[in-house]
Amino acid sequence: MTIELARYNPLRRVLSYDDFDRGVNGWCELCGNHDGDLDTVRPSFGDLRPPQLSTVPFFDIGSHGAMTGTYALKLATRPRAGHTACLIKRLTLADEALVQFETYFAAKPEARQGNGVYADRGWDGNEDPSEYDLGAFTLSNDIGRFDGSRYHCALRYQNTSVDGRLVQGWYYKTSLQPTTKMQLVGQIPNGDFHTLSDDDWQPVPGGQGPLCFNEVPTKVNWHYLRWQVDTKAGRNVELQVNDRVMDLRDIDVPVYPHPYTGLRGLFNLLLDVRTHRDVRNFLFLDSCVISADW
Amino acid sequence: MRVSHTAVIERNGRFDTHFATEPYEAGWAGEARWFLRVASATGMWVVQTEISPDGHHWCPHGEAVRFDAPGLYTVGVTQFGGWLRLAAHPEQGEAHLHAQVYLTLKE
Repeated sequence: MTIELARYNPLRRVLSYDDFDRGVNGWCELCGNHDGDLDTVRPSFGDLRPPQLSTVPFFDIGSHGAMTGTYALKLATRPRAGHTACLIKRLTLADEALVQFETYFAAKPEARQGNGVYADRGWDGNEDPSEYDLGAFTLSNDIGRFDGSRYHCALRYQNTSVDGRLVQGWYYKTSLQPTTKMQLVGQIPNGDFHTLSDDDWQPVPGGQGPLCFNEVPTKVNWHYLRWQVDTKAGRNVELQVNDRVMDLRDIDVPVYPHPYTGLRGLFNLLLDVRTHRDVRNFLFLDSCVISADW
Repeated sequence: MRVSHTAVIERNGRFDTHFATEPYEAGWAGEARWFLRVASATGMWVVQTEISPDGHHWCPHGEAVRFDAPGLYTVGVTQFGGWLRLAAHPEQGEAHLHAQVYLTLKE
């Protein structure tokens, strides 16, 4: 095993090792379907922002750098409550088997600058008011089974609720991702693109607890994450975030009631970050590994 | 092999007053080029590259581009540091702009 992969625990076939010192490695902006006219893109899929190769820079210290090397992959929202930035990597399944995504990541809100900018919450030198500026980030996939059925797994770290309360735990979604087909028959979502409603999330058993925020928005501490999915069973298997390992095998995964054409063996991985305030939110990836047991 | 990248900074954007695109990190790139594909425009618009040391504070850099009609407009940028954005404003009065903004980057 190379020294780069020694910090990961891949399954036996490494499909990609994405070192963001070498470009975006196929993590591109997600854009909704259209018929050639961009006005037909649904609003929730219309402005999910392009990837950035980032030195993880801040106004106070300059470039933080990645965990290894200079550049990290950055997702950045607009400074508008409810806005989501999302990147997608598109693969296919060579078999229906275990697939695993691993990364070292950090999620931070943009720093506010100036005298009294956090006066809405105060500052006691311990709990930092900027922690309330980080909304949520989500790992998800889009899988087309060989029999034509389709499902999405989605796991979200909810730092704050949509109305700004500190929540700090992992959640899974309980409704289907609204599709163009569903919206054409009148099902209009009220949340982001994952679910029909922002209420359609349930806590992951054993998934409650904070990450290492580290006091201010300009300090970055990299977290290890490993997410395993069984594409044969159509289930999540496990999510590990540092010392916390969550068994996901009993979590229901909604499946569309009809087959989708053209998606046989589809395997898309998605990362997104969502702000709940008028403050940009960032998700940084030092690198990531996608592996499978076929 | 040189790294290059194309980012759609504004997709299908519609504007009727001054705006600046989202801050974009491009420190890895030795050269950059904006493309504005203008589907429709009323009034005279002025667009200007802006650069920043921190993604918060911005100053103009390089030449401005002016247009008042549909078309493809471009401006190249070098020696820009780490951050790029594009600022735009109508020169006067009521105006409208429907455009796609691309940023192309090369190592």
